[in-house]
Amino acid sequence: MQRYLVQRLLLVVLVLLGVSLLVFVVTRLTPGDPARVLLGPRATDEQVATLRVAYGLDQPIHVQYLTWLGRIVRGDFGESIQLHRPVLGEVLDRFRGTLILAVAAMVISFSVGIVFGVTAALRASSFLDRVLMSVALLGISLPPFWVGLILIITFSLVLRWLPATGMFSPTGGGDFSDVFAHLVLPAVSLAVVPLAVIARLTRANVLEVLSQLYVRTARAKGLPSRIVVVRHVLRNTLIGTVTILGLEAGWLLAGTVYIETVFAWPGIGAMLVNAILQRDYPLVQGGVLLVAGIYVLINLSTDIMYLYLDPRLRHA
Amino acid sequence: MALSALAPTLLAPITRAAPAGVATPGVLVVGLVAEPTSLDPGQLTDINSMKLLGALYDTLVRFKPNSFDLEPSLATSWDRSADGLLYTFRLRSGVKFHDGSDFNADAVKFTYDRLLDPNHPYADTGPFPFAPGYYGSIAETIVVDPMTVQFRLRREDAGLLDAFTLNTGRIVSPQAVMASRKDFAQNPVGTGPFKFVSWDHNVRITLTANPDYWDGAPALQQMIFRPLADEQTRITEFLSGGVDVIFDVPPDNIEQVKTTSGAVFLSQPGPHVWWVTLNTKKPPFDNPLLRQAANYAVNKDALTQDILKGTGTPSVGPIPPALTWAYTDQVARYNYDPDRAKALIQQSGVLTPINVTFWVTESGSGMQSPKTMGTAIQADLNAVGINTQIQTFEWGAFLNKYGAGLGDEAAMAELSWMFDSGDPAHMLPNNLWGPACSPKGFNGGCYQSAQVDELLDSALKVYDREQRGSIYKQIQRIVAADAPWIFIDNQIQNAAISTRVGGLDLHPSFYMTFLNRISAA
Repeated sequence: MQRYLVQRLLLVVLVLLGVSLLVFVVTRLTPGDPARVLLGPRATDEQVATLRVAYGLDQPIHVQYLTWLGRIVRGDFGESIQLHRPVLGEVLDRFRGTLILAVAAMVISFSVGIVFGVTAALRASSFLDRVLMSVALLGISLPPFWVGLILIITFSLVLRWLPATGMFSPTGGGDFSDVFAHLVLPAVSLAVVPLAVIARLTRANVLEVLSQLYVRTARAKGLPSRIVVVRHVLRNTLIGTVTILGLEAGWLLAGTVYIETVFAWPGIGAMLVNAILQRDYPLVQGGVLLVAGIYVLINLSTDIMYLYLDPRLRHA
Repeated sequence: MALSALAPTLLAPITRAAPAGVATPGVLVVGLVAEPTSLDPGQLTDINSMKLLGALYDTLVRFKPNSFDLEPSLATSWDRSADGLLYTFRLRSGVKFHDGSDFNADAVKFTYDRLLDPNHPYADTGPFPFAPGYYGSIAETIVVDPMTVQFRLRREDAGLLDAFTLNTGRIVSPQAVMASRKDFAQNPVGTGPFKFVSWDHNVRITLTANPDYWDGAPALQQMIFRPLADEQTRITEFLSGGVDVIFDVPPDNIEQVKTTSGAVFLSQPGPHVWWVTLNTKKPPFDNPLLRQAANYAVNKDALTQDILKGTGTPSVGPIPPALTWAYTDQVARYNYDPDRAKALIQQSGVLTPINVTFWVTESGSGMQSPKTMGTAIQADLNAVGINTQIQTFEWGAFLNKYGAGLGDEAAMAELSWMFDSGDPAHMLPNNLWGPACSPKGFNGGCYQSAQVDELLDSALKVYDREQRGSIYKQIQRIVAADAPWIFIDNQIQNAAISTRVGGLDLHPSFYMTFLNRISAA
């Protein structure tokens, strides 16, 4: 098991190295020059050239890459060309916003999704089952940004219950209740698709487990239905749910790009889009590397969680 | 993005309620289109970040409300030597920077030396991309006494006084720059009506009133600037009361703002010009008849009314009408006339269909709706036998391409420009001067006219505004006849403000000005 972990960790390093190379080459191959974008049409060619030298963009690409990599190993991600601020601070600051949003969406999608799925499975083929699964189908089909707009129109413009955009009130604010009020609409918009996926998969898993012999045995020895469901059925559907957790966590990180834009939520998705448009190489590279790192770590922890949940894998 | 196309129709029928939200008396919340890149006036090149500068800093001279006429600001009076090479400014006494240090001639010298001298000890707080273009004629800044400063020029520059109104030249606190160095961009200190309080990155920038402001204490207690990158998000936030002011309402949402109670729609023609550069060095547009034909072929009224929904007016030349003293419409006019265009093409002897490549940008500062406009222009040209192939670039790549020149690659390209100094002296030499043929300048179509070059040079040596204006009028007549561009439109700046806001007028320079006079009930 220890060997397995070491292997996996080595693989993480390799993947990140590959990502760093890929993002570096792709940003350099994209037409457009950060110096020209920063300086605008009024700057002279000389000024553009001077700035290129200042950012090391005049060096051969492999030298640029190795310099960048060397600095990252020492914890220096460089400075954003557009924002004149250290990349690491900016990325972490923005990531905090994304994390709050993604975790909130995950909590909503898992709690509601599992309740939907289990309820539908226990009352399979009933009217309630059909309603819940139709809602889930609808949820998968709706684009999240559209759901976001509809929620804004309903709850901000018409009912005026919740703020439309941002993470804090424009004047003051910033405490828990303020952030919470701003979080509700974007988190719900982001949660809709994974919620629907989880509900449908949970339903299928629970139905499968319900048909197992050990469930019948448990019922036969007279256990109350609640205990059968919680102890024998749910426990055994968890493996499937954890797999979805890993997949959906990646989806949630990607989905924040739209949602952050619609809700002006200060997160990393919206930041990356802007950084790409501005040819802010250091910020794009740092941001992508961080997101890739998080993604890889989520997959790693999903795999480790399997080991915990399924004793058979520990000895394999 | 599909999102932007969808939202106006979604929002339209429902949002008639007055913006309520979080309005606090004395606090004005302004919606920006992006997170500001810096608050160091020398560094900035984007209009969005510049929106804050008028609150934090002052210039030596400034434009009067609603005009391009100069009035004193940090300088109370000025004069010019007979040879035009020495400007003397007497400075306002008793003015202090927000950090408590005195505003004086040393501060002016520090500001301009830092911008212009690459060996200045604080030159590394840059780069300062606009400075050489606007202030390149300054050879030396001289402190005569604490309240008098002189600029010695290396060449005559009749546009220099107008250039002193620009954001780039706003006076910074030397003490603050020395203390913060590169961090000055995040901790700005000027003499303006508002003091910097905090910058909560990607969330808001907070400014507080400067009660000792030399031009009268601000009516507001606080100004807050919020970055709202998506235009539909900006509209929504305005309608729900989360911001009091937004600039550049998208054309499709203007009706909605106008019919919302509690919202006021403002508009103001400004120093903007949008055109299509024609490659004068290569066929077919090396032929003046073809360039004129292209001008006749494009329906500019349809562009400004149907696509821009009245946020632009058709233009007739390279100088915007807002520069009243330099503008004339007494030039060769190309009203929409496809038959005339076809006749000119026939007269030129060039065989149709003519195949041309047209560079279009996806977005960009001042570019309005570049893709839709490009497509409409393409359709108009195709109709007269100029078979136009569009190549679309994202703004960064587009600037690179255009800066290198149209060369052998394209016959046409879109571009726009701001005359924010209210003076053609800073724009035309970049875009229509022979020696500025790309890649040296931004004359992408490489227009060459000995007469225009000579007039542009001579205009810098004439100080009487009326006389200088008449030179620029002459240039417009030549350029309109030569038609090196398809003249398209001048943008009308617009803003939506809440009815609780008072004293906010859009200035023709498109700057936010006289912020101490703005109030919020």
